[in-house]
This record gives sequence, C-alpha cells and structure tokens, in this order.
Amino acid sequence: MREKIIYGLGILAAVLLARNLYSIFMQLPDEASQGMIYRIIFFHVPAAITAMLCAAVAGIASVSFLVTKNFKYDAVAVAVTEVGLAFLAANLVTGSIWGRIIWGIWWTWDARLTSALVCWLLYAGYLMLRQAIEEPTARARIGAVFNIFAFTDVPIVFFSIKWWRTQHPQPVFWGGGSIDPAMYWTAALNLLALILLAVVLTLIRLRQEEVQREIDSLRRYAHAV
Amino acid sequence: MDTRNFTFMFYGFLAAWLILVVYVLSLVSRERKITEQLKGLKGMLDYKDHK
Amino acid sequence: MDFIRQVLVITRKDLRAELRTKEAINASLAFALVILVLFSFAFDPTADQTREMSGGLLWIVFAFAGTLVLNRSFARELPNDCLDALVAAPISGGALFLGKALANFVLVMAVELVSLPVFGIFYNVHWTSRFWSLLLVLALGTWGLTVIGTIFSALTVNIRLRELMAPLLVYPMLIPALMSAMQLSMDLIAGKPLGGENEIWLRLLVAFDVIFTALSLLLLETVLVG
Repeated sequence: MREKIIYGLGILAAVLLARNLYSIFMQLPDEASQGMIYRIIFFHVPAAITAMLCAAVAGIASVSFLVTKNFKYDAVAVAVTEVGLAFLAANLVTGSIWGRIIWGIWWTWDARLTSALVCWLLYAGYLMLRQAIEEPTARARIGAVFNIFAFTDVPIVFFSIKWWRTQHPQPVFWGGGSIDPAMYWTAALNLLALILLAVVLTLIRLRQEEVQREIDSLRRYAHAV
Repeated sequence: MDTRNFTFMFYGFLAAWLILVVYVLSLVSRERKITEQLKGLKGMLDYKDHK
Repeated sequence: MDFIRQVLVITRKDLRAELRTKEAINASLAFALVILVLFSFAFDPTADQTREMSGGLLWIVFAFAGTLVLNRSFARELPNDCLDALVAAPISGGALFLGKALANFVLVMAVELVSLPVFGIFYNVHWTSRFWSLLLVLALGTWGLTVIGTIFSALTVNIRLRELMAPLLVYPMLIPALMSAMQLSMDLIAGKPLGGENEIWLRLLVAFDVIFTALSLLLLETVLVG
C-alpha cells in the first residue's frame, strides 16, 4: 500500500515538475533587469520553503518523541532532516550562483545568508551527532533534544530580512511585493512539486530506517540464539 | 528571448538538480546495503533454525 | 527557596572543585592570552582597523577559551560515577543545570575580565569609554555562551569523540549570540552608546539568552535521564 503511495506521489511530482519547467522556460517573459537568470527563483524560493517545512516537521517529531517515547517519531525526525538538508543545500547553492550574477559576489555575510548557512551546519551536526551515538534509545533522545535546539535558528532565517538590512532582497512572492500573477502561480506550483518530492524522499528514507531497525533487532536475536 | 547569463542559469539549475540527484543516489546505495544485510541475517537465522 | 538553595549547593561545589585544582581556568586563561598574542603577530593594524576588529577578536578569544572551561562541565563528573550520583540526587534537572551554568559563568567571566586589560595593552585600545555598557554586553554574551556550552556538555557527555563533537555543535549554535556580542562590543569600544542602530543586536542577544536558558532548564533532565 505504501509503495503505491510513494509511486503515485512520485509520478505526480514528476509531472508537475515537467509542466513547470515548460512554463518556466517557454511561457514566461524575461525579467526587466536580470535577463534569464531570474528564472532560478522558481527553484530557489520553493527549495527554501520546503527546507523550512522539513525543519518544522523534524522539530514536531522530536518533541513528539520526547513526549511519547515512540521510536517512529525518531525515524521521522532523521528522515525529514536529511531531506530538508538536501533542499537547503540546493537553496544555498542556487542563491550563491544567482548572487554571483546579480551582485557580483558568490557570498556575503548578511543576516539571511549567515543564518541559512548556520541552519545547514546545525542540521548537519544533528546527523553527525546521531552517528556518534550507538545505543538507539540514547541516540533518539539526544538527537531529539539537539533537533529542538537547532530549530531555534529557523525563525531567525525566516525573519532575518525583516529584522535587518540585508544584501538579500525583500520578499517577492509572499510578503508584500508585487509580482506578475503568471510568475506567482508558477512559483506556487513548483513549491507544490518540491513538497511532493520531499514527501516521496522522506517516505523512502523512513522505510529504510524501519528496515534498519529490523536488521538491528534481528542481529540482536541472532547473537542471542 | 534574452540570452544574457544563459550559461550561469544553466549551472544554477544543474547545481540544484545535482544536489537532489546525489541525495537520491545516497538513498539508493543505502537501500542496497540494507537489503543485503537483511538477506544475510535472515539466511543465517534460517540456517540456525533448520540445524 | 528550596530551588535556589539547591542551585547554590551545586554552584559552590563546582567552584570549589575548580578553584582547588585550577586546571581548567589556568588552561583557559593561558589559551586566551596566547590567542591574543598570536593575533597581534598575524595582523599589523592601524588604530582605526584595530578598533574595527576589536569586537570580533575579543569574542573569538572568549568563545575559544570559554569552551575549554565549559566542555569539562559535565565531563568532570564521569570518573567515579559522580554523574550518576548527581542524577540520583534529590534536585531537579533545572537546579542542576542552573547551578553548573552559574559556576561556569563565574569562571568564564573571570577569564574575560583578565583578558580585557591585556587586550587593551597589547593592541593599544582604549576600551573603558563605555565601561558599564561593555560590562553588560560581556555579561549577556557570556551567559549565552555559558548556557549553550553547559547544555551541550551534558548532551555529549557519554559520546565517544566528545572533545571533537561538543565544539562542533556549540559554535554554530552560538553564532547569533556571538554576532550580536561582537557588533555591540565593537560599537562600545569605539565609544558609541547602546541603542539606536545597535538595538536589534541587543534584543537578539537578550532573546537568545532567555530562550536558551528556558529550553535548557526544561530539557537537562531529559538529556541526562530520559
């Protein structure tokens, strides 16, 4: 049953992405000052939003684990953090390339970029922390606490362009900018596609995590017998 | 269509997709590793049961 | 009142243990002074440049030297099952955390207050123009540093490669507090007052302290016991 869900969502995501790519390249007009490069926004922004959603889900899963002690929440936390990390990396890299063209610099230490990089470092640290702990209960517990701490950076990333003057531009889509409706809808649809992709990847990783637990328990059983 | 900065945009899209592809590949390799382990363990247990 | 008494018992115990051997505080102080000396060789700044980098340099020194003290916080309880004794003691996790954090705060502040005049001498920087504001920023920044260092020391106490993992996790977590403290210190050493442009950094620092103190008080027991 779950296999079918994964395949179904995967195909839906692929179709949406294909349709969006067509729209991005064939239908939309060029932006006045930036030329072609602005089209990267249709991946840059949705990837950021997807990554932050993944972080939120991981935070909720971590709290749920600490409250209920149910290991399935721990599995969700690690799966969704990994996927979120990949999307955040994509966001940072596309932003950097875009910045090289528009601002002439690959990187700058303004509030938005610094906090986003710190976010990436924190969640990568979470994965490293988990690897350093062998005992599953301790790993889940310590990981959950660290995940809650790491999540405190996410609001900083989100509000950084409102609280400080940043090199990074003000919100274009959701936050008061004016935008051509065709571009708005393409971005929204791409956001949906990326979210579906994230869900598919998380489900796959979640299933792998369950298999890993089965292996661990079988191994313990095999050594006991 | 204005083709200013076409190469860089291409690199940008390529980078985003490459990162996701690398992650998917890591998932695939992990899948292969754990199915192997699972098969090995199950085989070992069956052998012990049948002994 | 019981809570306060418990906190002070832990604080006095930690301070007494540290001050008798003075291991961590000597290492920390020596490290701070060495970094200050090395940096003065690495760059040859003009007076203006020095004032610009003073905030950053000071807080890098404080963060690195402070970590030497903070990492030991829970690690020193490992031999002789002292950690188990603390966990079994009739005090709440919050009291244990606050007690250790206060002791660490005193130690790290001591190192900083010694490093500050040394910094002034080596780099020819006049840092006393806004002394009380600078002291406030020092206290707020050090409290943030201490809270994160203490809770992460507890988090990593039973992990192999603890010496490596704890700093790796602490420094990214500290960046908001460090950035705020650096900006504020740089402005205060240059003679500008708090407020106005600085206010966002001050607010971030205070919010950082409040949020992480609350989180740590709540979660220490979960970290150590489950």
